[in-house]
Amino acid sequence: MKQIFMWVGISLGVLLVTAFIVLSKMAGGPKDALYMVRYALPHMRGGNLRPGDTAPDARLFALNGADTFHIRERTAGRPLVLIFGSFT
Amino acid sequence: MVQLFEDYKDHADFLTIYVREAHPTDEWQMKSNIKDGVCYAQPRNLSDRLAIANDFTKRFKYPVPFGVDDMNNAANDAYAAWPERLYIIDENGKIAYRGGMGPFNYYPKEVRAWLASRYGEMKHPEAKPEDKKPDQKST
Repeated sequence: MKQIFMWVGISLGVLLVTAFIVLSKMAGGPKDALYMVRYALPHMRGGNLRPGDTAPDARLFALNGADTFHIRERTAGRPLVLIFGSFT
Repeated sequence: MVQLFEDYKDHADFLTIYVREAHPTDEWQMKSNIKDGVCYAQPRNLSDRLAIANDFTKRFKYPVPFGVDDMNNAANDAYAAWPERLYIIDENGKIAYRGGMGPFNYYPKEVRAWLASRYGEMKHPEAKPEDKKPDQKST
């Protein structure tokens, strides 16, 4: 029984180290891997939207900050390409 | 994406939606952003978010119509958009194309292919391949 626990522990350790190495490669380095887990993963969502679903609406601000509009207002008559992103 | 916009703006509408920062100085900052002088803390209020959005559009003379998500991140949450993602909504208000989560599954070429299947190939002769993301990586 003791040996089983030992091998399970070793296997988990190897898995964790491997996962961290892969994450480090993806993120750019060990520090980036930690930041990815801390800051990026909590905000990453696969989402439930699928082709054919009704597109959700949301209110957006114009660059002047005073005016607002809705995504729905931009979907009349032609396809609408949405480009989500940020500066950094 | 700018080239895509220029190529198809006579056939489709485009809207860039600015969402929460991906690599702000107080979270997971990238060395490339330091090198490029793109250093911003995560906005805590709308005026900060608007200021960064305005910096972006001015710096790149960004021509694509632009909207800024509110501080409740309503658009981001509705579309699972962060850090970057592409969608096409058809004339009936339905999702016609849903891109993968960026940066690893962010493919403007898929949007181009969808538009090309409808309106024909519009690529300008001088256009660069869009398989890879441009330097201004998030949008």
